[in-house]
Amino acid sequence: MGRVAEGDERAFTELVRRFQGRVINLVSRVLNDREVSDDLAQEVFVRVYVHRRNYRRGSKFSTWLFTIAANLAKNEIRRRVRRRNWFSLDALQEMVNDSAIQLADPKEGQDVELQRAQLKQAIGKAIAAVPEKYRIALVLRDLEGFPYEEIGEMLKIPGGTVRSRINRARGILKRKLQPLLRKEGL
Amino acid sequence: MSCKRARNLFGRTWDDEVTQAEREWLEGHFVSCAACRAEYEGLARTMELVSSMPREESPADFVERTVARARRAATEPDRVPGISHRWIPITAAAALLAVLGGSAIQWAGLSTAPEQRSTTQAAAIQQPTWVGPAPGTTPAAPSSGTDEQLVAGAATVPDSVFNHGDDVEFILDPVTLRKGRAHTTIRGTDAPRGQQATITF
Repeated sequence: MGRVAEGDERAFTELVRRFQGRVINLVSRVLNDREVSDDLAQEVFVRVYVHRRNYRRGSKFSTWLFTIAANLAKNEIRRRVRRRNWFSLDALQEMVNDSAIQLADPKEGQDVELQRAQLKQAIGKAIAAVPEKYRIALVLRDLEGFPYEEIGEMLKIPGGTVRSRINRARGILKRKLQPLLRKEGL
Repeated sequence: MSCKRARNLFGRTWDDEVTQAEREWLEGHFVSCAACRAEYEGLARTMELVSSMPREESPADFVERTVARARRAATEPDRVPGISHRWIPITAAAALLAVLGGSAIQWAGLSTAPEQRSTTQAAAIQQPTWVGPAPGTTPAAPSSGTDEQLVAGAATVPDSVFNHGDDVEFILDPVTLRKGRAHTTIRGTDAPRGQQATITF
């Protein structure tokens, strides 16, 4: 990152290459929208490059990077909530979908890939249904594997708050996925 | 009580952060409490399901597109976003209110007699620090009475009784302001006379 701060474009390219997967994964799990995620992940790296001189040497780069990613994802969620409140029909449709997180009945001979895609979609929808402040902490912990202390730094909240948010998010997720778990006999 | 303790340990157990003693206690509790065991198993299955989610793959040209976009952004003179679209209606409403308010004030000023107007304007602009009654005058104290009374009282008091020691001068070209007073400076002779500003605070 030191080289990036000095304007080394090759170092920046290497940095994007190294972290692209994790950033895309974080953003797309938080938003549950792959198309927007690529664009937002790009914006995360753009901000890193534009504000490279603000990076404090000695601090952990991934913490800084994922703080930017979490903030952008948060802004996007809020923007969507505002838009959803405006278009109440969309909100209604989403509520209907959220309340019925389950797989379609598997027909005989149905492609395993299709079932897997449905499962992924259902889990993605369940994560997206977790309230924003719990969701980001959950994704950072349970999908990206960050330690609680680092998540606290990223979200600028104490470690205890991180823990309670993640526990709450897990509980919500469990309730949302209960019908799916029963159906799958998991 | 023991169920509450058990459930408090669920998160840390999943994170593998419990001590050996806590783990043994929890396992012992599960033997005697089917509800807590079922609850924890449900949580564990949920978390396994979530963890099994395949990672999203990056598009093939993600790096190149990102670097190009970053390069463009870095060369832009100002990346600070302008007024966001959601502020447009608010800004428009505020501007409309300001115009209407200004018109109303102007209309009210024009509809009064010249003598009254000068008195009203003086009252409007003279709200400085009260330093006490001047000899021969009995204005209302600032703390008692309404704003109208205060303004009316202040209008009858000569300006010399007010302490202007703490006055701060702001310069907002072409309007020069002093605390408690307002002056309008119009440069040149061709400046429109209608743009006089009266600011009270």
